[in-house]
Amino acid sequence: MSEQIREQVSAFLDGELPSTETELLLKRLTRDGELRESFGRYALIGESLRGGSHRLLTTGFASRVNLAIDGEPLPASVAVVQSHAVRWWRPFAGAAVVAGVAAVAIVAMQQRSLAPGAGTPGLGTSAEIALNAPAAVTSAAPMLAENREALSYTVPAAPASAPAAAPTGRLTNYMFAHSKYSYGLAQRGVLADLLINDDEPVGAARAQPTQVPARVAP
Amino acid sequence: MIQAFRHHARAGWLIPCAMVGAILTAVPMRAWAADDPGQWLEKMNKALANRNYDGTFFHVSGGRVETMRIVHRVRAGRVTERLQSLDGPGREFVRNNDELTCYLPDQHTVLVEPRQDRGPFLGSLPQFGADTSEFYRIEALPDARILGRTAHVIAVNPKDQYRFGYRLWLDEKTAMPLKTQLCDSHGEVLEQILFARLDMPENIADSELAPTVKTDGMRWVRQGPAHEATSSSLSALRVSELPPGFKLTVEGAQTIGDASAPASHLVYSDGLATVSVFIEEQLPAAAPGAATASDPAPAMPSDAPVQGLARVGSGYAFSTVVQGHQVTAVGEVPALTVEFIAHSVKGGAEPAHR
Repeated sequence: MSEQIREQVSAFLDGELPSTETELLLKRLTRDGELRESFGRYALIGESLRGGSHRLLTTGFASRVNLAIDGEPLPASVAVVQSHAVRWWRPFAGAAVVAGVAAVAIVAMQQRSLAPGAGTPGLGTSAEIALNAPAAVTSAAPMLAENREALSYTVPAAPASAPAAAPTGRLTNYMFAHSKYSYGLAQRGVLADLLINDDEPVGAARAQPTQVPARVAP
Repeated sequence: MIQAFRHHARAGWLIPCAMVGAILTAVPMRAWAADDPGQWLEKMNKALANRNYDGTFFHVSGGRVETMRIVHRVRAGRVTERLQSLDGPGREFVRNNDELTCYLPDQHTVLVEPRQDRGPFLGSLPQFGADTSEFYRIEALPDARILGRTAHVIAVNPKDQYRFGYRLWLDEKTAMPLKTQLCDSHGEVLEQILFARLDMPENIADSELAPTVKTDGMRWVRQGPAHEATSSSLSALRVSELPPGFKLTVEGAQTIGDASAPASHLVYSDGLATVSVFIEEQLPAAAPGAATASDPAPAMPSDAPVQGLARVGSGYAFSTVVQGHQVTAVGEVPALTVEFIAHSVKGGAEPAHR
């Protein structure tokens, strides 16, 4: 992230970026995936820095954050200990899993629409899920590599949350069913999660588009 | 005469006093009414549901940022809206009154689903009544500038650790939420939405609401209405204890994935946060039709019981096994809450807070 963009992002998050520049920043972010990821990190870090002076960062953590952004040092005033700050990094793993498996879940959801006895639904689903699974892994892999510093710092901080341990396809199905009953703002979050795509699309599934017969045609 | 004069003088002194008093009490009352955060949330709900808008926003969650576009139109009582991811394969959701269509080009699939709730994609907050104010505290924070506009900042703070809160930046002119944050009970931001552009045109053309995804050759999958809840399809398992303020609001049955039997779906809410509990009648491993032997690479353990905590979106899911049933609590609540609820599922007992 160049200094200019960093300033723009910072101003945007503070609501101080003029609308013309906001438009430019938006265009740039839409085009540039790498910048978008940096922006995501920066936004959360920015919030954690601004969010409350009692919640600051370990110097060790701060230096890792710098590596993750672009190596620029954080202000010297930022220096305290707060394990909560580490939590910002935990979602990397979770988001990758959620994004990766939403696809799996949708394949599984289609199963509901099948007439009993139509084809071999069980076989079809399992096969597609199996094909999808590596895609979820590969989509997580680049993030892991890119943020190795941050993640390695995170893992001990969040041992209870082990998203990979659960068959997340089912969880996403639960989440989708749940979204009908959750209140507006929360529901928006759920829909957004389902809408969020993989940077690595589920190519394996595409190779088998007819494996699960669909009952309803347009 | 003297007496009358005195009387008159006292009255003359009292009248301005009363007037000053009236003014003094009226001023804060009026100021309070204008800045009442509850009223602003109400204005926001109305704007989100009834106005036309077309905006682009960032959804920042878990270190990821997605650029999305929302188009919302109300015309002759019909609500049409489109939520489009501007990144990657470009998934889109279109809602036409009570029908939700999900365009998933990367999956070559279009999902069509009836939606009973007619809330806008961007969401709203329920009205704050006595129930909600017992567990949340609404407050107005100092105004802020955002997108070059003045915004009222409103915080909905949870009073305990069982729920998340919100911070909203509402446009002074339109009450539209220019920025929204989901926060935990310490005020830390878990997820946020920031508008980069927001237009509120008088008219929105049909073309702006049509999906940009080409549907040629895509599979169309239409979901039927949810199962009727019958006593035979509902599990005898019950949540025996709930975190303060949560009550059972919906009870139904839902077929999850490729399960052969519908799962019980119990919905608990404190008026703002919602937790779903799914209880599957039998463990998926025992479900007929679940293929494992012929599966060349059973990478997804979809037939094994799920156990433990998982992060889902901005919330959590906690799964456990109770008397041979798969139990999962899921919601946009802290891990503590789903864990509490899942752990208190027991056979036969009536819910304590029903």
